Amino acid sequence: MTRTARRSLTRRPSSFGHTSLPDEQQEALRRAEHLAWWTIGFLVTAVVAVYLAMGSSQAMKAAWAEDMLSFIPPVTFLVAVRIAGRRPSAKHPYGFHRSVGIGHLVAATSLVIMGTFMVWDSASGLLAAEHPPVGLVVLAGQPVWSGWLMIAVLAYTAVPPVLLGRAKLPLAVALHDRVLHADADMNKADWMTAAGGIVGVLGIGLGLWWADAAAALFISGSILHDGVRNLRIAVTALMDARGLTVDGEPHPLDEQVDERLRALPWVADAQSRVRDEGHVFHVECFVVPRGGLRLEHLEEARRAAADVDWKVQDVVVVPVAQLPVELLPGRDEDEHGGVV
Amino acid sequence: MVVQGRGGAQALVGLAAALVLAGCGATIPSDPEGTLDRVTGGTLAVGVSLDEPWVVLEPGPTSDDVRPAGIGLQPAGIEVELVEELATRLDAEVEWTVGGEGSLIASLEEGDLDLVVGGLTSTSPWSQKAALTAAFATVRGPRGEDELHVWAAPMGENAFLVEVDRFLLEHRERG
Repeated sequence: MTRTARRSLTRRPSSFGHTSLPDEQQEALRRAEHLAWWTIGFLVTAVVAVYLAMGSSQAMKAAWAEDMLSFIPPVTFLVAVRIAGRRPSAKHPYGFHRSVGIGHLVAATSLVIMGTFMVWDSASGLLAAEHPPVGLVVLAGQPVWSGWLMIAVLAYTAVPPVLLGRAKLPLAVALHDRVLHADADMNKADWMTAAGGIVGVLGIGLGLWWADAAAALFISGSILHDGVRNLRIAVTALMDARGLTVDGEPHPLDEQVDERLRALPWVADAQSRVRDEGHVFHVECFVVPRGGLRLEHLEEARRAAADVDWKVQDVVVVPVAQLPVELLPGRDEDEHGGVV
Repeated sequence: MVVQGRGGAQALVGLAAALVLAGCGATIPSDPEGTLDRVTGGTLAVGVSLDEPWVVLEPGPTSDDVRPAGIGLQPAGIEVELVEELATRLDAEVEWTVGGEGSLIASLEEGDLDLVVGGLTSTSPWSQKAALTAAFATVRGPRGEDELHVWAAPMGENAFLVEVDRFLLEHRERG
């Protein structure tokens, strides 16, 4: 590792590679990193508390596993953001933006594996008609039914993630960071895990032995669902799909860049091919000039495209006599309403 | 976890509310199979396996209260005395079954026994098949570690388990 690379791992990045961040994004990045650390801190307390109260409840076990898995997205985010902050090098001329995609893929894969395992575990518990025993614990000298303790702990784990998730979501959009978005999404819905666990433990209390395993199945199912959904998004992004928003919708930047270029007086037609690298887009613009083409024109086109958004810095402008159909698939579809 | 539409969230809240309402009319925890109700004022079926000084077998008259029938032995020892005290509290008659741990735990799983006693500790491998109770005695083991002595109750019969736990916590001692 070079000295610069090592320094960029320890220092808070104010840029993604050589893409310098506008003030809004710098502030978002700073807050997102703070929130990631707060999430990790909260999770440590949640994991310890749930583990101590867990007993024989399957639902508690599932909630605990979910809390453990919840460490992955914030840690991945912190690591990916630091790696993405490195400057492009001779060895990595495109920069390190893909670290976000790799982090996303790793997080999604672990969710899928754990989710599958837990669905299997709780379903077989349900089929085997396991009756979870929940007895007394002594708390400050007083015997208390452990179920109440479990419910109290689950209630504690319900609230902070929702607040953290709500705070992270707009930052994820501002930074165009899918790992942060997945993390925020999971946090925001985390109260359902806690509520599911509480339903399970209350069910045990009422003598409904199946309620616990059913709640565990619900929690595991939602982990698996998260995993599959994120896996799909992560793989799509790594497969160089067109620029998408963090929600997976087509990104408006594609169109905006094209419109900006077409608005230049010397441009007859223009279309770009956009690759979502992680935080930033790499754009190849094909422009068909009207009449004579001068070098200043190309410089102007490059600046015009880069001015559209902070995400668009790495721009290549290619003058062509005719838009290359084979490099811009879907173009004929748009114009003629059908696939050629 | 991701919200899978508002329907899921509403169903969950509804379910929680229904359980809370149901809980108002019931005692928490309660037994799926009603063990505590059946035992109280009835018969407490207890399996004993030999483990001095916790459970010993003394020659005695053949009794209908001890199985296998005609064995001609009477259980005694620290744990047997404790069981008898618990039975008095539950206003129950004790019916003893003498056997090996394995077969007693199997009977417990079948619902033929309500308790299994005889030198079980909290690290017992039976914890997957039986609900281990609170510890009533802590004893220095052969390797100098603390052994917590417990009983085994049927899985998931939590009202009964809590009743036994409460009794044992009151009679807890360090040996």
